[in-house]
Amino acid sequence: MNRSPVFEVFRYAAILIALAITLVPILWMVSMAFKPVAEWQATGAALTWVPRTPTLDNFRFLFGQSGSDLIVALDRTAGKPILSSLLSASVGTLIAMSAGTAAAYGLSRFGSGANLPLALIQLRLFPPMAVMIPVMIMWAFLGLMDTWWGLALIYGIVTLPFAFWLMKTFFDDMPKEIEEAALVEGCSRWRVFTRVTLPMMAAPLAAAALFVFILNWSDYLIALLLTTREWVTIPVYMASLSSSMTGQLYGAKAALGLIAAVPPVILGVMIQKHLVRGLTFGALKQ
Amino acid sequence: MTMADRIPAPAAQPRADAPETARLGFRLTLPAQILVLFISVFPLLMQLYISLTDWSPLAGVSWPHAWEYWNSFANYTDILGDGRLWSALWRTALVIMVCVPVEFLLGLALATLFVDDFPGKRVAYSVLIMPMMVVPAVAGYMFFMLFQSGGPVNDILSWFTPEPVTLAWLSDPTLALVAVMAADIWQWTPLMFLILLAGLVGVPDDQLKAAALLGASPWARFRTIVIPRMKTIIVIALSIRVIEAFKIFDTLYIMTGGGPGVATETISVYIYKITTQDLIWGYVAAIALFILIALSVAAVWAMKRMAK
Repeated sequence: MNRSPVFEVFRYAAILIALAITLVPILWMVSMAFKPVAEWQATGAALTWVPRTPTLDNFRFLFGQSGSDLIVALDRTAGKPILSSLLSASVGTLIAMSAGTAAAYGLSRFGSGANLPLALIQLRLFPPMAVMIPVMIMWAFLGLMDTWWGLALIYGIVTLPFAFWLMKTFFDDMPKEIEEAALVEGCSRWRVFTRVTLPMMAAPLAAAALFVFILNWSDYLIALLLTTREWVTIPVYMASLSSSMTGQLYGAKAALGLIAAVPPVILGVMIQKHLVRGLTFGALKQ
Repeated sequence: MTMADRIPAPAAQPRADAPETARLGFRLTLPAQILVLFISVFPLLMQLYISLTDWSPLAGVSWPHAWEYWNSFANYTDILGDGRLWSALWRTALVIMVCVPVEFLLGLALATLFVDDFPGKRVAYSVLIMPMMVVPAVAGYMFFMLFQSGGPVNDILSWFTPEPVTLAWLSDPTLALVAVMAADIWQWTPLMFLILLAGLVGVPDDQLKAAALLGASPWARFRTIVIPRMKTIIVIALSIRVIEAFKIFDTLYIMTGGGPGVATETISVYIYKITTQDLIWGYVAAIALFILIALSVAAVWAMKRMAK
C-alpha cells in the first residue's frame, strides 16, 4: 500500500526511539563490564557512557585473577556457577524434550494421554513459588538439594509443557503420507517413529530444544531455593557478588551478566521464526 | 530387535494394529505422565497436610511427624487477617493492570509499523525482540544499575531539565514501583510485539484494500477488519502476559528485594520471604494452596467466559 512521506518519517522516528529504549539498558551493561573500578560509580558530570580506559579486569577478576584495583578477592570464581548453569539447563532440556516429544507423538498419532494438554497448561499457570515447599522437602529427602542434577530434574518438569506443546503442533502439521508409506513397507510403529518421523523433524526438534534451553537458562527463583553453595547457578552467584564489605561489585556483576545474557540472545535470534509458536504453546504460527 | 519387528506386518489396516498402537501410545506418554504426577499429586497432598499444622523445618521433627503440631485450620483463618498478604496481592494486581495494557498497546503500535516491508526491517526486528531473551535476573541487574541515583536514567532526564535530576528511584516507595514496572515493560513489550505482529501479518490484504477503495478510514479498517480477525490472538497474548506477570519475581527481587519496606512486595516475593526468612512453612503451605485454588477458580471462570 502506498503511504505518505509523513507516515514514513513518523514510522522511522518511532522505530528509532523504540530501538534506543531497547538498546540503552543492554549497552549500559556492556559498557559497565569493561569499565575499571574508578569509573563504576562515577556520577554527574563524570558519568561516562563509554569507558574512558576500557579494561578486561572485570572478566579476569571473575575467573580468579586479581592484581587489578579490586581489593577483595573472590573465594569462589565464576567457573563453577557457569558450569552449573550449563549442566542443569542442558540436562533439563534433554529431560523435557525426551518426555515431551514422546508424549506429543503418542497424543498426536494414537490419541494417548488425552489429559496431558490441560494438565501441562495447569502446570504453567501456577507460580512456581506456590509449590516450592513440597519440592524443597522432596529434594532434600532424595538428596537432590544443591546439586546440578536436582536442578536439571525440576527444570525438565517446569519446561515440559513447552516441549510437549511445541512438538505436538509440529507433529500435527506433519504430513502423514510418509509415515503411512513406511507402515505399508512393513515397518513397526516404533521404527516409523524413530527412523522416519524423528529424522524428518530434526529441524523443529532443534528449534524446540533451543527454546526450552533458553527458558531453563533463564531461571533464577528455583535455583535460589534449591542450591545453596556447591552448585549455585549464574544468577544466584551474581547476586552474591556484593557484600557489606565490598559494596556492589558493579563491573564484575555486569561482566557476569554479559556472559549470562549472550547465549540466549544469540540462540533466540537463531530460532526467531519459531518463537511465536513456542511462546503461545503452539496456538500461533508465524 | 524383537521377532515381531522382523516379520513384515500385514498391510497397515487402521484397525489391525489397534492393540499395538494403544500399547505404544501408552508407553510414549508414560514418562510425561510420571513427571506430571511426581510434581502434582504427591506435593499437593503433602502441602495440604503441612498446611494444617504449625510445622517448620526448625521444628526438630521431619515433616511426616508434622501432626504433632496440628493446629486444625488456624493457618487458613490467619490468611483472612494477614494484611501483608492482601496488600501483596493487591500490588501484584496493580502491576498486572498497569504493565499488561501498556505492553499490549506499545506492542500493537510497534507491530502495525512492521506490517509492510521497509529497508532495515529485519535488523530492527531482531534488535527489538532481544529484551525478552535476556535472562530476567540479568535484566533486573541492568535496571538496578540504570536507576541508581547517579545513574544513566537520571542523567538522561537531566538533559531535559535545568537542574540535574537526582531521584532516588529504588529507595522511594512510589518510584521503586514505577522502576520495577518499567523493567517489566521493557522486557515484555517485545513479546506482545512478536505475537501481535504474527497476527497482523495474517490479516488478508485484499480485504483491507477493498475497504480502502470503498473509502473506509484507516481507523475504521482497523476496528472492523483487523480487530475481529485478531480476537483470538489478542486473547492469547493477554492471557499469557497476565499469567506470567502474576508470577513476577526475578527482575523485581534483584532490583528492590521487595523494598523499600514492603513497597514492591508482590505475592511471589512475599511467599519467598516467609519461606526463607520466617520459615513458617505450615502457614506458607496454606497460602500456597489458597493461591492455587483461587487461580484455578479464576482460570475456569476465564475459560468459560472465553468459550461464550
